[in-house]
Amino acid sequence: MRKFIAAFLCLLALAACSDSTPPETFAVVAGSENRDLEPIVQEFCTKQGHACSVTYLGSLDIGLSLADAEPKYDAVWPAASIWISIFDQERKVRHLASIAQNPVVLGVRESLARDLGWIGRDVSMADIVAAIRNGKLDYLMTSATQSNSGASAYLAMLSAAVSHGDTIRRQDLDDPAVTETVRTLLRGIRRSAGSSGWLADLYLASARQGVRYDGMWNYEVTIRDVNNQLRTEGKELLYAIYPTEGVAVADSPLGFVDRKGGQETEAFFLKLQAHLTSPEVQKRIAESGRRLPFGSASTATPRAEPEWNFNPEKLISTIRMPEPGVIRQALDLYQGALRRPSITVMCLDYSGSMQGDGEQQLREAMSFLLTPEQTKRHLVQWSPQDRIVIIPFDGSPRAEYQSTGAEAEQGAMLTAVNTQVAGGGTDIYACATRALQRIDDLNRNEEYLPAIVIMSDGKSQGGAQAFRRAWDASTKPPVFGITFADANEQQLKELADETGGRVFDGRRDLIDAFRSMRGYN
Amino acid sequence: MTLSRRALGGALIGAGIVGTGAYVALRDNPLLRGLTGNATELRGFVGGEKQPYLANPQVVDLLRRHGIVLHSTIAGSVEMVRQRSLIDQRPDFLWPSSSVMTEMAKMSGLSIVRDQTILNTPIVIYSWSGVVEGLVGAGLVTRTADGHYEVDTGRLIGAIASRARWQDVGVPSLYGAIRISSTDPNRSNSGFMFAGLMLSALTGSVPDAGDLDKHFATVRTVFEQMGFKSPSSGKLFDQYIAGGPGSEPMIVGYENQLVEWAQADRTRWERIQAGKGARPLLIYPRPTVYSAHPLLALTGEATALIDALLTPELQAIAWTNHGFRGPLGEQTASAPPGLAELLIPEVSATLPLPGAPVMLDLIQRLDAGT
Repeated sequence: MRKFIAAFLCLLALAACSDSTPPETFAVVAGSENRDLEPIVQEFCTKQGHACSVTYLGSLDIGLSLADAEPKYDAVWPAASIWISIFDQERKVRHLASIAQNPVVLGVRESLARDLGWIGRDVSMADIVAAIRNGKLDYLMTSATQSNSGASAYLAMLSAAVSHGDTIRRQDLDDPAVTETVRTLLRGIRRSAGSSGWLADLYLASARQGVRYDGMWNYEVTIRDVNNQLRTEGKELLYAIYPTEGVAVADSPLGFVDRKGGQETEAFFLKLQAHLTSPEVQKRIAESGRRLPFGSASTATPRAEPEWNFNPEKLISTIRMPEPGVIRQALDLYQGALRRPSITVMCLDYSGSMQGDGEQQLREAMSFLLTPEQTKRHLVQWSPQDRIVIIPFDGSPRAEYQSTGAEAEQGAMLTAVNTQVAGGGTDIYACATRALQRIDDLNRNEEYLPAIVIMSDGKSQGGAQAFRRAWDASTKPPVFGITFADANEQQLKELADETGGRVFDGRRDLIDAFRSMRGYN
Repeated sequence: MTLSRRALGGALIGAGIVGTGAYVALRDNPLLRGLTGNATELRGFVGGEKQPYLANPQVVDLLRRHGIVLHSTIAGSVEMVRQRSLIDQRPDFLWPSSSVMTEMAKMSGLSIVRDQTILNTPIVIYSWSGVVEGLVGAGLVTRTADGHYEVDTGRLIGAIASRARWQDVGVPSLYGAIRISSTDPNRSNSGFMFAGLMLSALTGSVPDAGDLDKHFATVRTVFEQMGFKSPSSGKLFDQYIAGGPGSEPMIVGYENQLVEWAQADRTRWERIQAGKGARPLLIYPRPTVYSAHPLLALTGEATALIDALLTPELQAIAWTNHGFRGPLGEQTASAPPGLAELLIPEVSATLPLPGAPVMLDLIQRLDAGT
């Protein structure tokens, strides 16, 4: 009864009660393409006196989070609702509303687009296939299994490759003509990533370092942001290609997750959603370069920029999304067979400081990485065409293990790696140099997407000079770092930055760090 | 991919209690108990498309004056008459969205005290001004003298099943084969009814098991070409409105959805009508089927709800604000301004849905085949 009276008094004097009991944090999980809209969310939360957090994850991870027995978030804001359709088996997500509409397009260097005769005319996926076959085009694209923009590009490729002109069906995935076309399109990928935002940063950073990629599959709005930056720096813009067979449009749905929060949380969510779909905020979203949902409360459209073929007034044909079961199968096919094969050389730190808990965690991470049932759940499984090299190291590289990604070989490799015992010093550079040699041996013709991965828990002795000299003379594979325990992040970060790689934090969850890295080659 | 019915039901039970949440929270409060008087509290399941109507404060108020307080939970029409976990909650009433459901409820062993159709809305096709102009030019869609759009159901099915391309039907701005989207017929009523409509139209009369065998392949082809099918009519309509002509050139929906959407934001509606961009349009299939909304009273007390919902005031709100026609398909008040010209005064060409056993067989075969 006392509780009831208190609640009733709160009803009478709502403000006073909310002041005395700080509300819990309202947790949103969003795709990286929404990062520039976070200020709009935070402004609203501040005004409402409600703490909000926004966590950025790939679309697959957002989808998988819905399968958790106890969801961690009050709202999901993935790039596209298809990820909710695939993974929200228990229909935990309600009140979905599209905040913006983002087509996934191919940006091509303007001068190359001109050489290819693509300026000012319709370009089909067949034209893109021909350009790749003739060695005239390559591009960056995120992993189709880890990120929505990559999945969208991949599904657009599949859609264009099916000859019957309508949506992809299960049997199309077994059609050699379809898979061959898509394999060619995927061979055009020079670099991949688990995040669309990171990929855009990579394009810009590479352009600054004089590395020219021909193009990039990404959200139209991301291409716009990249072009704004390129223009400021006096560099060549990316010309947007909308393949005539249709593109996939990410509908940026914001949905409420029914979990422990109850009615108050739901009411707050609905207010936030109403705010984001209000005429004023929709106008701001259009000003950010995004197309608005057709039925938006605002009539604003982003400003057209003909110099790179951006015309938000023009109707774009979109592909028909297949059944969720077919998408899931198509993603497995991508990861297990169609994508460009990878070569991954992993330097694993077995220095003395790894004794005990460190060794144990590393064993668990390797057990994840080399157990097909586990990698398949996260769609990071190896394909039989992949090459895996593991080099345990301490003060110098130890004897290495090599394997293909064939399921039968992974178990043997895991058993062998697990015989390693921690001891000795730490020299990441010596191991990185060895890894570089291995990649140059195995990937002379550059048929694989390469990655060097250095997992370390401490400060390295030795210097980077020898490695740098060797890298400059090599096929220039990116170096990824995974930090653990007392790792010196700076050393790994320097290597990653110089080579177009990235550092993952393995201190909180080593398995998760290795898994994320797998989305990058 | 089909959800387990149990998981789906659980989620639906968890899903929103309509309209009267505040009442639920406060009704046991002694300070407020006096306000509730001797109202009859009724619990039941309703199709999601009627949620906005039941949540309309005017409707809540009028029902209250009839001495009725509703505690309604959203559930799919097919589930509410078939799924054990829902039936076992012993609801006072069910309010599904198709007359076939009355028959299916009886097949599930439910005893119905009284059933009566309260509202009606025909199955229509939603498209966009630019697309419809092309279809009219190519002769697939016709514009009637009073300005409504109609399509011959059999010809439309034929065009889709034969994979005619957009460019062949006057819409060169869209790529690939002509396509239509409906909801999943195994989960949602509008898709269910569209499946029945196709079978009835292909048969030309009330289909029996033999007709199903004969025409199943055509119906399946049309559904296969849809690819992803939304689980609910509301979600599909939202997708249509958000995506525009490029993403959703044609969808299957209820006539009432456009009225409700237009009435929800009149400024937006007027702006779209005045603008130079694509306008949403509805096309009446000839013939079509009515989605009747029969209220099944499972207890004696719930029969009062039937009487209340049939009163002129509640019927008029249903039409004007929510687009639902009366029990005989009639417009129960004048049509809202700016919408009248889009809405057929009377839907003359209708077909009955196939009987429940044929419908059940049809959706089960579609489920197995996709």
